[in-house]
Amino acid sequence: MSKKNRQSWIRGVKTIAAGFFKKHGQMGAQAPVSTFLISVGFVAVLAFTVLSWFWWWFPYHLFSDEVYDIVVVNAPESFIDYNQYMQKFRDKRAAEYGSRTSWFANWGHMAYFKYHYDGYGWTRFIYKENPALYDFVTFGKWMRENKAYLTVVFPEGFDEAVSARTKDHNLPKPDILTYYRTNSLEYTSMKQEFIDEYLHGYQDYMRNKNGWAFANVVDSRIIDDAMDFSDFENRNPVLDNLGRSFIPLLIFIVILYAAMSIGTNIIAGQKELGTFTGILLTPIPRSAIIAGNQLGVTLKTLIPAFIFTVPFLIIPYYRNQANFAAIFLHLIVLTLFIASLTLLISVINDTVVSAQTAFLPVFLILIAVCVTCIQNSTEREAFYLYLPVYGQFYGIGDALNGITDHMGLLVSSVSTLLLGFIVTLISERLLHNERYTISIDPVTAKEIRQARSGKHTALNVADKITDNGFFIFKEMLYPLYLLGFFQLIAIIPVVISYMRRAEYSGFIADLKGVATVTEVMNKTFEVLGIFMGNPLFLALMTVAYFLMIAACIIHSKRVFRKKSFADTFKACGLPFGKPSKIVKDYILGLLAGFAMMSSVCIILKLTGQIDMNGFGLSANALPVFFINLMMWFPQGASEELIFRGYMIPRFEQRFKKAFCVFFSSVMFSVFHSLNAGYTPLASVNLFLIAVLFALIFLKTGNIWMTCAMHTAWNLSQGNIFGLQVSGNEAHAAVINTSYSADANNLITGGTFGPEGGLAVTAVTTVCMVIVIILLCKSRDLSRNKNA
Amino acid sequence: MIKVKDIHKSYTKETETIKGVSFEISKGKIFGLLGPNGAGKTTLMQIIATLMKPTSGTIEIAGLDPAKDLLEIHRLIGFLTTEIKLDPVSTPDRLFDFFANLYDIPKGEIKARKEKAFDRFGITPFAGRRISELSTGMKQKISIAISLLHEPPIIIFDEPTNGLDILTSRQVTDYLKELRQEGRCIVLSTHIFSVAEELCDEVAILVDGMIVAQGSVEELIKMSGEKDFEDAFFKIYVENHKEER
Repeated sequence: MSKKNRQSWIRGVKTIAAGFFKKHGQMGAQAPVSTFLISVGFVAVLAFTVLSWFWWWFPYHLFSDEVYDIVVVNAPESFIDYNQYMQKFRDKRAAEYGSRTSWFANWGHMAYFKYHYDGYGWTRFIYKENPALYDFVTFGKWMRENKAYLTVVFPEGFDEAVSARTKDHNLPKPDILTYYRTNSLEYTSMKQEFIDEYLHGYQDYMRNKNGWAFANVVDSRIIDDAMDFSDFENRNPVLDNLGRSFIPLLIFIVILYAAMSIGTNIIAGQKELGTFTGILLTPIPRSAIIAGNQLGVTLKTLIPAFIFTVPFLIIPYYRNQANFAAIFLHLIVLTLFIASLTLLISVINDTVVSAQTAFLPVFLILIAVCVTCIQNSTEREAFYLYLPVYGQFYGIGDALNGITDHMGLLVSSVSTLLLGFIVTLISERLLHNERYTISIDPVTAKEIRQARSGKHTALNVADKITDNGFFIFKEMLYPLYLLGFFQLIAIIPVVISYMRRAEYSGFIADLKGVATVTEVMNKTFEVLGIFMGNPLFLALMTVAYFLMIAACIIHSKRVFRKKSFADTFKACGLPFGKPSKIVKDYILGLLAGFAMMSSVCIILKLTGQIDMNGFGLSANALPVFFINLMMWFPQGASEELIFRGYMIPRFEQRFKKAFCVFFSSVMFSVFHSLNAGYTPLASVNLFLIAVLFALIFLKTGNIWMTCAMHTAWNLSQGNIFGLQVSGNEAHAAVINTSYSADANNLITGGTFGPEGGLAVTAVTTVCMVIVIILLCKSRDLSRNKNA
Repeated sequence: MIKVKDIHKSYTKETETIKGVSFEISKGKIFGLLGPNGAGKTTLMQIIATLMKPTSGTIEIAGLDPAKDLLEIHRLIGFLTTEIKLDPVSTPDRLFDFFANLYDIPKGEIKARKEKAFDRFGITPFAGRRISELSTGMKQKISIAISLLHEPPIIIFDEPTNGLDILTSRQVTDYLKELRQEGRCIVLSTHIFSVAEELCDEVAILVDGMIVAQGSVEELIKMSGEKDFEDAFFKIYVENHKEER
């Protein structure tokens, strides 16, 4: 670079950077005033929040729902005894504290108010009895009624179990369970203190009183194990945590916000106004334009960053001159990096609004990084100190707490600067591309860019693939959402009703041991197995399936852009045209489904796979039988609607018919494959059945018939022939069926039911051949032969 | 001063906006590019101003190649666009200083040049006002003053009188004549015949990205055999424009 060019480079950088600090600076379009007002409000709220940490300027607790009492369930004699013994200490403390509610009479206490697990002596114990240890519904009710923050549950015979253990130490420790309010972090820490001090004190007391040995050994297992608090000498844990979490986060937000409002305006704003062309035509190199803007954004962002940081450095607790330099270095490096990001986004975009929108993900990602930093602040890995952004966050937090890792400071600064430099270089290169420099009318620019990319460029293809991929992903999640949401709603009341039964406490306690995915699945199936015999569950599921159908229709109305619900039903393969035809199709479907399942059973019987042991329905199973019968109708209809009536036309909007049938069938198979006893053959069979149903849908043009087939298939399978339905066992069947001793799982499908076996494969294949022949014969559908 | 040789420019693979344009412009002349909307005038002007690179072909400005001596060329050219583009929250005064600094004008000289330019166009009373408060004509005059503050020998002017009232456009055309007298080389694009007729020493008629006729206004009228320039233009246009399928 010649001397003259170097001079003009420096002058260009200076002029552009200085432009940021002139009155009416920023040579670009500006964000509206409302943005400014919002940021002022944002800062004010933050300031008040920060203030409340140091000075209790507002007696929050007088207006909060703060509670101190404790519910004790199945309290053993020894615990009641201990409570009485401790009462005199609580009374003393309450007397010392003074008034609990009067701010004026007692402001000294109010100003330094801290939550305490026994509320400075105010805690009362409420004794209750309940044999079910996991009945959190009742416990929650008791806590609300009695204004308690904690429930302590003892098992029945606690004292006896502890006494027994003194004789034989190999006996299991009895459990003490704790339930607590989670609506405030205070309750969590109060609960922890209660366990650490009060419950452990109780166990020591019990030992002393009984004259047992091992006075410091806990005699029962407290399910809510106490966590270790790292003990700093002379450090205040609250202020320490604040320095590691809130203060760096605040500084990050300030820098990000300032850099965004300053940085995204510049080049994008100049392009929007059309003033950028003028700057490009001056004899200033592009690198100087970038450098000048980078310098301007950085300097202007550093002003608020410093304004927000300095007050914290003045606080005596954080005052530590040696670490000031580290904090300032971190600030400068971080600001440079974020400024380079905003600059790149500004170069890429044509308008201020689009640049700000594009910056939003960066903003959120960096905030997410901060949040992960806060979450891991005590047990972070050392290498985080060397990473960009992480290094700054932890570095600022550490420096506030008087620690500076010089190696971390150096490495993270260098790596961040390097990253920022690369980003800046990219921005500079982009400025040589006329796509990012010419300020044509944005609409025209977009059109040209679209036209420029042509039809077969990689970008275009990638666009299409991601678009289709997203569509498929979304549509894959839809059945999951529908089935999951409504089944969950139906299951909740049932689960709660079981929670309240003492006899299931053991089962629920066993859940603690569940660790692997297989175990989770097995437990789930076990639970579902219990529920399938519960009339409440079956009735609720019936309602849930109807709700699913309604939800799917409402969704379809929007998706298929139908004006009326009649049109929507028609679009989903449920036309209400001729009632007589619907009835005919439905009855035909019921018969076909029954015939198919019957032939499966005949095959199984003839090959000697199953034994039918006569009539299996008892009188007291009748209610379950009839409710179960009722459930299969909406069940079949909802699955047909979701996987056929909705999914096939939905995919047809974008893809060929063959793909729609294939994909919906795969989805159908995948959703059922999650059930118990799943075998690879089961997914093949379910796929074949789905294809068969889809072909029938294409043949008849409606899903009335397949709804009926689906219902008849499941109904006859479970409640007539007494076999498993896709891994779920029906509890009341007409015929009492069992696998014979020499049954082959390959043919019968084992615990998944016949749908996992070869018999179903055979029947489905035969039916499919018949339907395909019918399809080919019908002239109407010959043009759809690719389906 | 400007040599353009066989310039092609295409935004898409299928269509070419500029299909092989060549011309030369010498000192002290006004060269006009005349053509209907969409003929490629603005694209061609932006290529000459080095804002865009041609797909193929070469440009030489005062003997310099834009690919090598871009910044040197920027000192020699002044570019004005159709739309008035000034920072609305700034003032003429501050904008002039800003650009003077970017053009590396010596500090002592900036004030003298500013006074001269602002007096010439009557901007001085408005020098401290916000741009957004000023009239369209005033904005165009400020734009001209700032674009030419480095006194470039080559001036590229895209649609100089577009959207201006008669008074202001008269001021602009007078100023262009003055600049020609000073020996500057001026390229302007327009779709207004009177401007071309009044100002241009040489006119090139651009139709669908190609120069279909070139010469002085009189030559073009003679060539077409029509009475006046407007009729001549229409005849040339109809002969050369292919209807799009």
